[in-house]
Amino acid sequence: MAAIAVVVLFPLLFALSTSLKSAAELGRYPPSLWPHTPVLDNYGEALTKAPLGRFLLNSAVQSGAVTLGQLLTSSLAAFAFAFIEFPGRRALFFAFLATLMVPLEVTLIPNYLTIRGLGWLDTYPALVAPFLATAFGTFLLRQFFLTIPRELADAARIDGCSRRRFLWTIVLPLARPALATLAIYAFLSTWNQYLWPLLVINSTAMRTVQIGLALLQSQEAVSWGLVMAGVVIIVLPTAVVFLLGYRHVVRGLTAGAVKG
Amino acid sequence: MATRVTRRTVLRTAGALTAGLAFGGRGVPPAAAQAPTRIVFWHSMGGALGETVIRAFVSRFNASRRDIQVEAQFQGTYDDAVNKLRASIQSSAVPAVAQVYDIGTRFMIDSKGVVPMQDFIDREKVDLGQLEPNILAYYRVGGRLYSMPFNTSSAILYYNKDLFEKAGLDPNRPPRTFEEIEDYAKRLVQSGATRSGVALAIYGWFFEQLLARQGALYCDHGNGRDAPPSAVVFNHEEEGIRILEWWARMVKAGVATNPGRPTAASQRAFVAGQTAMTFDSTAVLRSLLTQAGGKFEIGTGYFPKPPAAAAGGSIVGGASAWILKNRPPAEQQAAWEFVKFISAPPQQAAWYAGTGYFPIRRDAYREPVARETLAKNPQFLTAISELRSSPINRATQGALLGVFPEARQRVEDAIEATVLGRKSAKQALDDAARDIDQAIAVYNRTMRIS
Amino acid sequence: MSRRGWRDLGSALAYLVPSLAVFIVFVFYPLVRNAQLSLYETDPFGGLGIYAGAGNYRRLFGSPSFLNSLRVSFLFALYTVPAGIAAGLPLALLANRPMRGIIAYRTAFSFTIAVSIAAAALIWDWLFDPNVGVLNYFLSLAHGPAIGWLTDPRWALAAVAAATVWKDLGFNVVVLLAALQGVPDELVEAARIDGAGPWGVFRHVVVPAISPALFFLGVVATIGVLQSFGQINILTQGGPVESTNVIVYSIFRNAFVNFRFGLAAAQAMVLFVLMLILTGLQFTVFERWVTYQ
Repeated sequence: MAAIAVVVLFPLLFALSTSLKSAAELGRYPPSLWPHTPVLDNYGEALTKAPLGRFLLNSAVQSGAVTLGQLLTSSLAAFAFAFIEFPGRRALFFAFLATLMVPLEVTLIPNYLTIRGLGWLDTYPALVAPFLATAFGTFLLRQFFLTIPRELADAARIDGCSRRRFLWTIVLPLARPALATLAIYAFLSTWNQYLWPLLVINSTAMRTVQIGLALLQSQEAVSWGLVMAGVVIIVLPTAVVFLLGYRHVVRGLTAGAVKG
Repeated sequence: MATRVTRRTVLRTAGALTAGLAFGGRGVPPAAAQAPTRIVFWHSMGGALGETVIRAFVSRFNASRRDIQVEAQFQGTYDDAVNKLRASIQSSAVPAVAQVYDIGTRFMIDSKGVVPMQDFIDREKVDLGQLEPNILAYYRVGGRLYSMPFNTSSAILYYNKDLFEKAGLDPNRPPRTFEEIEDYAKRLVQSGATRSGVALAIYGWFFEQLLARQGALYCDHGNGRDAPPSAVVFNHEEEGIRILEWWARMVKAGVATNPGRPTAASQRAFVAGQTAMTFDSTAVLRSLLTQAGGKFEIGTGYFPKPPAAAAGGSIVGGASAWILKNRPPAEQQAAWEFVKFISAPPQQAAWYAGTGYFPIRRDAYREPVARETLAKNPQFLTAISELRSSPINRATQGALLGVFPEARQRVEDAIEATVLGRKSAKQALDDAARDIDQAIAVYNRTMRIS
Repeated sequence: MSRRGWRDLGSALAYLVPSLAVFIVFVFYPLVRNAQLSLYETDPFGGLGIYAGAGNYRRLFGSPSFLNSLRVSFLFALYTVPAGIAAGLPLALLANRPMRGIIAYRTAFSFTIAVSIAAAALIWDWLFDPNVGVLNYFLSLAHGPAIGWLTDPRWALAAVAAATVWKDLGFNVVVLLAALQGVPDELVEAARIDGAGPWGVFRHVVVPAISPALFFLGVVATIGVLQSFGQINILTQGGPVESTNVIVYSIFRNAFVNFRFGLAAAQAMVLFVLMLILTGLQFTVFERWVTYQ
């Protein structure tokens, strides 16, 4: 099992090893699996090249806001799809899913024009607004909500529990692992955006981390140690978020919340 | 190996130089109480050197004047930056000055969103006498300079002198012709010195350079310089076909390796000593020297051409600075001051020593940092002498094509198909030409160019 | 519609309005705009340009390159979606056992969720390098031939798919693990008491219990993979000889490098319709097999 873990993580370990190599050692063949003399030069350079601290903050604000927004909108929408029998439910759900099938590339320019019209270029709202709802999250939560026994909903109704209270006090606590999964996913996929932040943000002060990664690559010659150092620096915060969020998933699960 | 000029020395020297100079003949205005004009500069210079050098230039410029403050903003790759311009150029959400790659020249002019650099040059009667004639020849369109070249380069041959010696080849005599490259590559592999005689990245720019070195045109109407082009012509001439056949022949014989499209893989192979020769931009010279790190000696040579080739030479590549129309005149004027600054000798020399891009002007070589660099690494002379020995004609001026980015991809498809033995050279180029011509037609129709 | 129907629709809409508002402004409006653009020969600024009717569509379906990109997209989905689930499920099963330090394994197996596709592609580009890459180095140690992972048309799509599967592995493990943990212990126990072996328990208890998650992954991965372009942009740029030129990459190229918005819009409409059909099929064919509750 440990061997499998090493295989799965190998590319990342390799990136870490590469980031610790000097330029001369990088050019050596056969490649060494671990640097003979690990150096931190690449990290020093990566941190001075790009104001990564500021970039990390911007990404954190964007990803945090998007995550909260998606949790809210998806919970509400998934609840409607899972627990309310309304006419046109299937069609509307499909319309939601259809939003996943619109290639990002074709929404970029119209959305850029919308954001520019709103005067939001170079601001946090431009980074956040278009992603405040997600069919992906709605679908994910719907799948989990549907595993909640119907009898629970019926019992709640008989007890005179309003739909809203049922959602807040029963459904959401039960769905904690699913919500944590969505939160992790939302945070990380926002964190990893490139094209949209590049388009709507101009100033260095508002840039997000993935553009910082691009900043470490030159037009003609790539310094791999530097790029890999950038990769490691950018993956670290997401790894932390992931670990924190993940513990939460596990805790929710071990509480036996969704069992039975 | 000789000691290397480090990045720090380069910057320090450039800083010392700049401190003592006033630019454009204009000092700080007496009425310094006025708020400075703030302008934005979009650029695509990422990486180990680009960003640092640009930042150093900007802070030095800002320190030298109180009336103008420049903010440099990185906008991703050249393609990313043009994209942003394309979406914003008809609005005021543009910077005052932007760096755009060579092949975006035609589009920028056609966009009608720029103020020609010539307007500023004429107004101040600036003498361009020090600028390299070949560089001006590329960027002058209809006799006018629309943008100011900033980082200029051309393609050269890089070779591993140690492997040459191992194969019994003269390390100080790089191959000059197609035939010699092929012959050298064979001898390098057969002698057992290396598995790969030459690593040729599939890069449309190399095709353009190899075409120009034979004096052949890329598209009609004098490479699009007498009038906007209506079609490409590289598939009608034997020069284009010759390039692909030569290329494919070497790969088929197992003496050339195909490292794929970007040059990243060919650079890695070269610095690791896994290939004896490679083609690349002179702009990566500093980076290759650093990565080879004294493990072997790097030789540089001219880009090859067939022995019987007509008058040809190399084309300038790189990028230039554009001043945008939809900003207030005060910002445009400020942008012009900044453009003058980055094209001044100290900046051009510092940029040259740090990267390998050659200066746009001859007097930059008189700067100590440039002289020092050349003394230690004579390889820095190859590209510029290659350029200076190139006659100026329609072929070496390079094509002006609104759909150049797409054309380049199609040519890369053609190279790939030939190298992999899927199509004959002629067939591959004909197919590429058909697609490009169709793209040109759409471009001309929608941009209302007849 | 009955009064009850109206009332239910009304209360459902109250829950749906926040999402709908965002979708209308940032997805459906651009989609409509895109449909319009697909009927034009657009100018390089993305403006409408000249009306072309079905011209862009006719051009697409007459183009071998476009038909090839449809084929490649289909193959790419075929290589990645089943492989991703097939790789994720055993890992999730392994990580679901109670044992000391299991959290470390869970984290390790799902860690790639934290890696961006750009970062993943940059790493794999280096691993796949034909001359100095680690993969070929390992092969050479085993006296294998050097493989042009990204430059040989026979390998390129599989190589890109491998990098994609690796990147998506973490997400698959997270979702499957969450689902596995929801399988009631009593059910498993009951099956064991009834004499079911490990395989029987897996097939008749575990799989049905996690089928909503499997279905979700199948749908989402298919849509996701048909939209992937980042890794292709970094690793192969659609080559060699268009062997990795998936539709979305071609859309990206046409829209963002070639300035051909109308053509890209038409490609996007075709892709959109294809995904609708595919997802519709998944819902009508597979969702029946899913056991909720």
